[in-house]
Amino acid sequence: MFVLAEKGMKIIERFIPMRHTDIRELLNFKKTPLNLLVAFTTLVFLVLFVVGATNYLIHGHHAYGVTREHPWGLMIAMYIFFVVSSTGLCIMSAIGHVFEVEVLEPFAKRAIHGALVTLLSGFIVIFLEIGHPLKMMIYNTISPGLTSAIWGMGVLYSLYLIFIVIEFFFLLRHDHKWAKRFGIFGLVVGVAAHSNLGAVFGFLVARPVANGIYYPLYFILSAMVTGCYLIFLMYGFKYKLNFPPEMQKTLVATAKILGLLLAILLFFEIWRMLTAIYGGMEDRAETALHILKSSPFLVGEILLGIVIPFLVILLSNGKAIKTMVFASLGGMVGIFFMRYDLVHDTQLYPMQTLKLREYQLPPTFIEYFPSTTEIFIALGAIGIAITLYYIGDKILYLETDPD
Amino acid sequence: MANYGMALDYKNCINCKACEVACKEENGVQLGADKHRIWVGVKEIEGLWPNLSIASSTFEPSQCQQCENAPCQEVCPTKATHYTKDGVVMVDADKCILCSYCMEACPYDARYVKEDTMTVDKCTFCSDTRLLRGETTTACQATCPTKVRTFGDLDDPNSEISILLAHREHRTLKTHLGTKPKLFYLI
Amino acid sequence: MKVEISRRRFLQGSVALSIIGGTSIGATSLLSDENEHGEMRIMTRTTNTKAQKVPFLCGMCVNKCAGVARVEKGVVVKLDPNPYFPKSRNMLCPRGNAGIQTLYDPDRLKYPLVRVGNRGDGKYKRVSWDEAYDAILNGTDKFKGLLQILDEEKDNRSTIGYCNGEGLSKEGFEELMGLKIGTPNYVDEISICLETVLGGYSATIGAYGEADMNNADYVIIAGANRAEAIITPDTMDMFKRSKGRGLKTIVLDPRFTNTAAKADRWYAINPGTDLAFVLALTYVVFSENLYDKEFAKKYLIGYEDYKNHVIKNSYTPQWAEKITNIPADEIYKTAREFMSSEHPIYYQGRRSVFAKNDFQLRRAQAIFQGLSGNLDKKGGIIYGKKLALPKEDVNSPMYAQAQDRFDKEGIAIFAGKTGSWIVFRNMVLEGKNPYPVRAMFMRKHNPMAGVPNTKKTEEFLKKMDLNVMIDILPSDTTMFCDVILPEASYLERTSPVASYGFLEPAIVQRRAAIKPMFESKTPEVIYKELAEKLTEPLWKNSLKYDEDVQDDTKGMKVDELAKYYKENGFDLTEPWEKSVEELNKERVVKAFGEEAWNTLEEKGVYYPNMDKYHKQLNPNEYQYYPEDKKNYTTKGDKLKVVVNFKNLAKKGVDPMPTWHDEWAFKVPDGQFRLVTGRHAQFTQSGTTNNMALRDLIPTNYIWINKREAKKRGIEFGDMLEVKSSVGKVHIKAYPTEKIAPNMIFMLHGFGGSSKEMEMAYGKGGNDASIIEDKIEPVYGAAVMHETNVEIRKV
Ligand SMILES: Nc1nc2c(c(=O)[nH]1)N[C@H]1C(S)=C(S)[C@@H](COP(=O)(O)OP(=O)(O)OC[C@H]3O[C@@H](n4cnc5c(=O)[nH]c(N)nc54)[C@H](O)[C@@H]3O)O[C@H]1N2
Ligand SMILES: Nc1nc2c(c(=O)[nH]1)N[C@H]1C(S)=C(S)[C@@H](COP(=O)(O)OP(=O)(O)OC[C@H]3O[C@@H](n4cnc5c(=O)[nH]c(N)nc54)[C@H](O)[C@@H]3O)O[C@H]1N2
Ligand code: SF4
Ligand code: SF4
Ligand code: SF4
Ligand code: SF4
Ligand code: SF4
Ligand SMILES: [Mo]
Repeated sequence: MFVLAEKGMKIIERFIPMRHTDIRELLNFKKTPLNLLVAFTTLVFLVLFVVGATNYLIHGHHAYGVTREHPWGLMIAMYIFFVVSSTGLCIMSAIGHVFEVEVLEPFAKRAIHGALVTLLSGFIVIFLEIGHPLKMMIYNTISPGLTSAIWGMGVLYSLYLIFIVIEFFFLLRHDHKWAKRFGIFGLVVGVAAHSNLGAVFGFLVARPVANGIYYPLYFILSAMVTGCYLIFLMYGFKYKLNFPPEMQKTLVATAKILGLLLAILLFFEIWRMLTAIYGGMEDRAETALHILKSSPFLVGEILLGIVIPFLVILLSNGKAIKTMVFASLGGMVGIFFMRYDLVHDTQLYPMQTLKLREYQLPPTFIEYFPSTTEIFIALGAIGIAITLYYIGDKILYLETDPD
Repeated sequence: MANYGMALDYKNCINCKACEVACKEENGVQLGADKHRIWVGVKEIEGLWPNLSIASSTFEPSQCQQCENAPCQEVCPTKATHYTKDGVVMVDADKCILCSYCMEACPYDARYVKEDTMTVDKCTFCSDTRLLRGETTTACQATCPTKVRTFGDLDDPNSEISILLAHREHRTLKTHLGTKPKLFYLI
Repeated sequence: MKVEISRRRFLQGSVALSIIGGTSIGATSLLSDENEHGEMRIMTRTTNTKAQKVPFLCGMCVNKCAGVARVEKGVVVKLDPNPYFPKSRNMLCPRGNAGIQTLYDPDRLKYPLVRVGNRGDGKYKRVSWDEAYDAILNGTDKFKGLLQILDEEKDNRSTIGYCNGEGLSKEGFEELMGLKIGTPNYVDEISICLETVLGGYSATIGAYGEADMNNADYVIIAGANRAEAIITPDTMDMFKRSKGRGLKTIVLDPRFTNTAAKADRWYAINPGTDLAFVLALTYVVFSENLYDKEFAKKYLIGYEDYKNHVIKNSYTPQWAEKITNIPADEIYKTAREFMSSEHPIYYQGRRSVFAKNDFQLRRAQAIFQGLSGNLDKKGGIIYGKKLALPKEDVNSPMYAQAQDRFDKEGIAIFAGKTGSWIVFRNMVLEGKNPYPVRAMFMRKHNPMAGVPNTKKTEEFLKKMDLNVMIDILPSDTTMFCDVILPEASYLERTSPVASYGFLEPAIVQRRAAIKPMFESKTPEVIYKELAEKLTEPLWKNSLKYDEDVQDDTKGMKVDELAKYYKENGFDLTEPWEKSVEELNKERVVKAFGEEAWNTLEEKGVYYPNMDKYHKQLNPNEYQYYPEDKKNYTTKGDKLKVVVNFKNLAKKGVDPMPTWHDEWAFKVPDGQFRLVTGRHAQFTQSGTTNNMALRDLIPTNYIWINKREAKKRGIEFGDMLEVKSSVGKVHIKAYPTEKIAPNMIFMLHGFGGSSKEMEMAYGKGGNDASIIEDKIEPVYGAAVMHETNVEIRKV
């Protein structure tokens, strides 16, 4: 195994500059408490993934908490979480190396690496959600449902994957011209794929809370926010908060952009709620009020996801970049809830409002809680993302070119 | 080529659920309370005993609306959900990848997961069972004690359903969504 | 039962193929799997392959609707309505559709079983049919056989009791046990079901009659829940015309039922007070002279006495309001509307043993109907006609040692054949029987669930030396039996032809859709084989003890003796010399000819001119008889309504309906009145193990008024203990405004105690175990709604 893998790496090494090709070296890291903690958690997550995925493969959707009334659950939320992260990082990277905003250039490569890693993690999750993933690949091709946002998403994300792999390849080879070209493709397709993901919900006439133009726009916006948070996290971890001056400049700039984005996002959220509640549609208004009172929304989405980071930026004029690393950690938790709520809240209002059995309470807001299997896979996917990131970080040169 | 629809004289319905059991037996719908293609909804009665509102207590028989403009079909990534030449919305189990998108998209909760194939299923107007054998009624229609349902070809002006719809007032469910349901509730 | 092949393997793979009566079955149309809780599910589906279509009569409840079974490769895959039978109007209800699930119920009795453990502990041994019959005759080391009992009782045949539930093969069992073996001690569902309504109407208008719901324009339906307790054709006819479409519907029920949901008005009447309501209606009619005077003069015998009686007693609506909880002006309105309608019906009702005054209530209803003159005519209560089928006489022997039945304590009119379940059981338990009762032969009847006070039924069964059960499922009662004989279910047997009368009479036949599965047998074959086993030894027992037989046969030679045995009916096997199939053909051909038989075989239904009369009117509806051939009016001048029934006085029964104050509705503070009843998706205790129906209602709940529940901190689904003077049950709560604050309601038939019925076991509460065993005084029928209970959260 090792030998084969090493041979493979040797071949790749001919095309891409690499750091280490020795597998044993890969497992070597500085045994600081923080590193050990991350390593241990990651390992646990990977084990959970194996357990969860195995359980799913044996029991299928029974292993999940999804129902007729709530067919989409944590897996879809996780998938969105990852692919939004990917798009966010891709956009942030593009600002630097495609649009040549110099202060942001330093993280171009690392961000694309992150985009790749999160996208792959997302794909792994969705493969464990779609009942028949192999069938999907066949029939998406030979029997395309052109009106389907999911079909569109499948196609666009596949293209996106191809483009950013190529982009990354050229970035690693310091081929700026081609990296930029593919960067543009990747960006365009990524944004298209991403707004399309919003359309997956936006097209649902059945679900008034989700229906409309809101999600496609909101997705792009929140993706960029996610990208910023992840950049803070990646660099915060890399430099253990001791940022070199160059990096400091970059991060302050990032924080300023983030502040602006958060303000717009907050504005978006407020108007979404106002139009929903006072929009004159009873079911939408009821649902919105229900959401408004729920703690995943208030504490998760709003407080952790938007308000705290925004305040940190606002109060420090973007300079508190160390604090921002922690705020970003909270921010990612908030982002997770944004994705989770998006999926769950869309399904909150029952399509069937009458009771169908003699001894039953009339249907109310639909409840859902992820099953253990779903939680295991979700955590596992985070473990996979960290692992892939770590490997990349280890074997590739992710910093700006020496020139 | 027909354009199948169904008219429901829903005031006849006594909520016995013969239709549900008949549908299950005819079409091999698995047992399990949430595995149903057809149902009767009941509103909780209004008022305090003994002053209850009789009018508030209605039975609403329903099933897939066989929408002419079906959201479930629109969102299906593999065209597993399709219209037959007779205007029936059907799922081709071979193509269904169980993405559940159609379940999200259906405004009527008409779809469920069929467990033996792990694909999404719904009312077929008995196209693959009774109609295939040349029968002219659906299982739910035939068995109903109070004869709530009339199934037939909307394009044939002489069919019983066309005559019924021509002579009696009727409404459809969630009409504002633009799904153009082909289940008509006779008033 | 521990000898059973695991139910999980039922119908799966090769084991299945070998256990199903040797016939191979198509594994594609019968699917079985387990759900996420490990519960088994069996499902059929129809395919496009060639299928047999066998006409049958549904056996899931008393109605016997006509259906057509679709059989593919030996599997019954679908039951469809049969459009030829006027009574069932081309429909099958949910239970009728779910008959397949009863047929393929994994818990079905598959082989004859003989008890090897103690009664009630569920230990049985699988035996051959002959061994089972032998155990009945000779007993085992665990229980005595029939021969020993009759020997000890010196051939007193009355020491054997028997019971049977409703169905087409009931008569055969009565022939075997009553006419042939010779015991009078028979009880059945009549005294726990409709005895008082049958009796009341027969005594008053000469028959129970049939309500012509297709043509009536006004109906008062009190204590009958046609939307949920399905009676054909009433259920089908009523609800196409209710809701302002021709049939004005007034519902009286203490709770809001699905029938009430279809009504124009619903009155939440106090339980047991309907008589006061009818008397008040009658008061209005007499005091305002609203009745059909000509009709009354001609047909209502003694109506003037009744008029005086009602007026003199001041049965005014104001008086009734206090008793019934129905406002006086509503009573005035109802009486006036009723009498001014063209075709008004006071619906007779069915299960009628609600309260002690029930016989008088039904008399009052029937008289009230008579006052409208809407009797024996279109849109009224009609008598109709029946197509006659020749009857084979049974040559029944006389047993000198047999004695009369004794279950008469507290009863004014002894009903004869069917007796009183409660009185019979209680007298045996209390030792009031003049001679011992030592064996029970039971079939298709589950008294542990159906007769009030389950504890007493259990004690009664335990007191017997021998209990025999013929059933299709291991019911609660079955589990107290010593010998269990598995019967073929209704889809596996051809039953004796039946004639259905009234408006549109027809002959119907149930044909077996498939052969009996496992080792089950059809009832008539069981009767025959049991008779063959018993006949000689029992005959010898009579020779030993019966003085009349001894006198008659003194000095007879062997062949003379054999002749005597045959001629005097001691040969028990004689009614079963011919198979059901042969007998059916013979009887139908004799009455209606060969052509009629062919029609019956093919279509399941026959009536004269069917080919001409029967027409499809639209995709859903059929004409059975043309309008002018329907039997609306058949009585003519023989019609009579006995209003003042003086003969009753001699028996201590009011000759005219009279209210007694002790009948008022009273519930002590903090207690609740218990009411039970039906649901469209269940038949009594018989379908609780049916998988498809269990999906619809997994368990029964107790209806409790929402405000009352709130006061007591009870929420939906909370487990409650419901306790009466005779027992207690645990059952979940269903708070609803559909019931009064001092009442509770539960569905009858749940709370099974037989562990062998996996779906039904322990689900919900058994109402019979808390209903007090009270009887009404005319026939001794069980009174079901006079029990008060206490409830508490557990
Ligand atoms: N689906 C289904 N159909 C059936 C059956 C079944 O088990 N299931 N069983 C069949 C049989 S054997 C029978 S006998 C019939 C029974 O048919 P029904 O007699 O119509 O049915 P039940 O539900 O037993 O009782 C009728 C109603 O009486 C109400 N009630 C109780 N006490 C009083 C009272 O004092 N006054 C008034 N006015 N109402 C009262 C109860 O709340 C209940 O709703 O149904 C037949 N049809
Ligand atoms: N508390 C209370 N008690 C009641 C009533 C009520 O409403 N409340 N209702 C009363 C009324 S109206 C009636 S009619 C009686 C009914 O009382 P039962 O006549 O006892 O009817 P079920 O409870 O349905 O039980 C029928 C039994 O027959 C068996 N069986 C079913 N099909 C077949 C078959 O084909 N062959 C054989 N051999 N057995 C079969 C079933 O397994 C079951 O054990 O109950 C009465 N008791
Ligand atoms: S079978 Fe007919 S009456 Fe019964 S629930 Fe269905 S639609 Fe209603
Ligand atoms: S009712 Fe639902 S499943 Fe049926 S056609 Fe319309 S959208 Fe599709
Ligand atoms: S679940 Fe199946 S039928 Fe539904 S949208 Fe997905 S592929 Fe189409
Ligand atoms: S039309 Fe056929 S498939 Fe559809 S609900 Fe009725 S019985 Fe079921
Ligand atoms: S009413 Fe239902 S259960 Fe009773 S005989 Fe008819 S179909 Fe069968
Ligand atoms: Mo009954």
